[in-house]
Amino acid sequence: MNRTMKPLFTLLFISILIISMVTACSGKAKNEPDNTVTQEEGVSKEKNEVTFENISGDIRGNKAPTQEQIDEVNSTLNDTYLGDVFEEVIPSDYSAYPVKGDVVLDVWMPANSNIPDMNNHLVQKQVEKLTGIKVNFITPPVGQEADAFTLMISSGELPDIIIDPGRYPGGFEAGVNDGAYLDLTDLMEEHAPNYTAWRNSDETRRKTTVTDDGRLLGFYGIAPYSEWIWFGTLIKQEALDKTGLPIPTTIDEWYEFLKKSKEVGYKAPLNYGSTYGQIFTGIINGAYGVWDWTFLDENGKVAWGPAQPKAKEYLATMQQWNKEGLLNRDWATADFNQRMASAISDDTAVMMDSPDTMWSYWKVQNDIDFVGALNPVLNKGDKSSTTYKNFKRTGTSAAITTQSKNVEAAMAWLDFNFSKKGWELINFGEYGTVHLVDEQGMPYYPENSYIYNDPDGQPVDVTLWKYRWHSWPNIRDEHHANPLISAKGSYSGDIRKNWTENMDTSMAMPPITFTKDEASREAELGNQLSTLRGEYFAKIIMGELPVDAYDKFLKEAQSMGLDEFISLHQAALDRYNQR
Amino acid sequence: MEILRKNREIDHVRTPSEPKNAKRLIQKDLKKNWFVYLMALPVVAWFIIFCYGPMWGVMIAFKDFKPLLGFADSDWVGFKHFIDFFSGPYFWRVVKNTLLLNVWGIVFGFTAPIILALLLNEVRSSKFKRTVQTITYMPHFISLVVVCGIIHIFTANEGVVTQLLSFITGKDYSSLLGYSNLFRPIYTFSGIWQSIGWDSIIYLAAMSSIDPSLYEAADIDGVGRVKKMWYITLPQISPVIIILFIFAIGGLMASGYEKIILLYNPLIYDTADVIASYVYRRGLREASLSYSTAVGLISSIVNFGLLWMTNTIVKRRSESSLW
Repeated sequence: MNRTMKPLFTLLFISILIISMVTACSGKAKNEPDNTVTQEEGVSKEKNEVTFENISGDIRGNKAPTQEQIDEVNSTLNDTYLGDVFEEVIPSDYSAYPVKGDVVLDVWMPANSNIPDMNNHLVQKQVEKLTGIKVNFITPPVGQEADAFTLMISSGELPDIIIDPGRYPGGFEAGVNDGAYLDLTDLMEEHAPNYTAWRNSDETRRKTTVTDDGRLLGFYGIAPYSEWIWFGTLIKQEALDKTGLPIPTTIDEWYEFLKKSKEVGYKAPLNYGSTYGQIFTGIINGAYGVWDWTFLDENGKVAWGPAQPKAKEYLATMQQWNKEGLLNRDWATADFNQRMASAISDDTAVMMDSPDTMWSYWKVQNDIDFVGALNPVLNKGDKSSTTYKNFKRTGTSAAITTQSKNVEAAMAWLDFNFSKKGWELINFGEYGTVHLVDEQGMPYYPENSYIYNDPDGQPVDVTLWKYRWHSWPNIRDEHHANPLISAKGSYSGDIRKNWTENMDTSMAMPPITFTKDEASREAELGNQLSTLRGEYFAKIIMGELPVDAYDKFLKEAQSMGLDEFISLHQAALDRYNQR
Repeated sequence: MEILRKNREIDHVRTPSEPKNAKRLIQKDLKKNWFVYLMALPVVAWFIIFCYGPMWGVMIAFKDFKPLLGFADSDWVGFKHFIDFFSGPYFWRVVKNTLLLNVWGIVFGFTAPIILALLLNEVRSSKFKRTVQTITYMPHFISLVVVCGIIHIFTANEGVVTQLLSFITGKDYSSLLGYSNLFRPIYTFSGIWQSIGWDSIIYLAAMSSIDPSLYEAADIDGVGRVKKMWYITLPQISPVIIILFIFAIGGLMASGYEKIILLYNPLIYDTADVIASYVYRRGLREASLSYSTAVGLISSIVNFGLLWMTNTIVKRRSESSLW
């Protein structure tokens, strides 16, 4: 921002500064009577330095706030009671609010089926109060989002903001290149100070939110931490009790455990898969280094899991397990409902899934306790590893379209999500009825929160959409704010935390992007390879093909263009590393 | 039908091709049958607006189409998408599977409703007839996702169909959707279950318009039931059967992906993976409107060729044809 200012502007600038000092508490700068464009620039450079009275003494640890205190939290931008609970400090730049003038933004967003009417969402009502920006949500009919999106783009009539802009054919970046979305690179620093500060607070955040050529396309949801691993092996507690064995760690121990489970009455102890590709979970195959798809080898180069040297060992083991009846017989054909039906039956001892899902199916609905196991390893004492890694990118993303009538306001509205107050409000809903704040300045849901006791009697998986925004371009604080994790007695979060702390994720591929030409070739090759992989692996494990058919598989993959496929990914990774 | 026949008459009359004469005849025909033309108008308009109007959009198969840039500003890529599709290692397999599934559909799925209609036609008790009809066309109204859920359950390890099959063959089967050789029968016969009642309605309607005096004459000659079916009923409804058969052949290369992707899995790709599901999986990685249009265009061209061929053959051998 090295613009030389003419004396006239300096004068204007100082005079406005003085005026705003006087009217500081209201936080509103006085409107200048003759707003020419250049003067506007002078105005927007000036910050409303709003100082708040520190109210942390009143709010922190307060279990029964008065109406006055509740109003103070809910209707002012005062955030002094919120602690700095993460490694990086969440920014709190409120100089843009309340936005002047009568602004209404059109926001296109696919709605959650539980919340069909976003325009009356409680969170937006509060955001409007704090930012001064009204929003008109355009929500396509549930289930027809893809068609609605294509129609909207084709019509050329675009709203101000599009949530989930990656729907654009060819992805987010293609949307910017084709002129649907605005390239925000030059505007970010000035109009989105919170987002800018937050994405620059850490190298991973910066890298995953910029394009290969250094452009800033939009607002990405960015977590305060790398979110916990959400997928792994879960064992019924009763199976451990009945077999009397500890939680298995190596493949051999697993084999023992499953055999023993079968002896004590679990007909098909390991639920191994389904039509939606669950044999590729990186759990058992990961132990052999045969990852599902692309991964980083020890030299940081891209490699393709199914082509790794130990693949035959893995396939032979699985074929054996299948023959001995350790896997559910319908692992290749079961759909989700069939999987869950067998999960709660007495035939199954082990599931490979998300602890949050199984918490609901096992514990809540059927009172079956379970524990999480780390991914198996080949040799005792090796470190478990997994490719389920979240690169601090989370929630969803948002783009401002090229047709936005008020880009500054649109940016201000999105930027609010990355401020401290936004973190509190979007994640935890309103103060008082939904959340309180503890001694450290961390919001939490008290037991009588609307989240758990909805006046309309809705269950938690609805209230988590109703009183807060569950997936949003914001600082999504999943670990503390997801009521399913933070519910009293829920241990799915503990399992996920334990996995995250004890597994190696160094082979996980970062979110790379392909160029236009690469993308279509990658899609073509990727489709062919994944068809080939799914077919051969499933048939070998089922015993329809011998393990040696793997050699044929590898030859076919080579002739399809495996090397070209890997080099496409390598090129994209190199560009990513250069960011 | 009526209109088609009329058109042919007009064609026939117009052959002298003396313009004045023809004009007069058309005017006369318009005057005489103005109400029929009026009735046909909305249908013709519908075809023009919704079928012929968007046809030029097929050109995006030769472009790298971007909705926002619109048709004019998208880049031309020539036959790139076609070459992509033809040169894929799975090209022959998905084409073969698509054709075979549809052949199964014609051999079993096309004949089943005709047989049902013939049998129903013989039933005396109208109560029983109505009940059977209601039961058989019910499944037509069940959502495809639900139907596939039912199929999943019936063909699971302990499913009804699986146990029945094990009982009959004496072999032990696990989930039936895991056997490549069973996919086509499952797909076809579940399809028959879905549509047999609905499709038989048109044949029953055709049968109801058969002149009863034909049957009376046959009765006097002492003809049996089966022979009446064979010599009277079937020939009388043959025009309808032929027209629908031509349509069915015209759909040989068409395949919906919904039912397939709800039922298949990698174990049975070798029989279950069809053009539409293969393209769908590619679209999951990169939404490519142009690519799917190109593939759709190939199917349409092949379908049209088949349609024309069938029509020509049928025209030579029988009275009725599409044109």
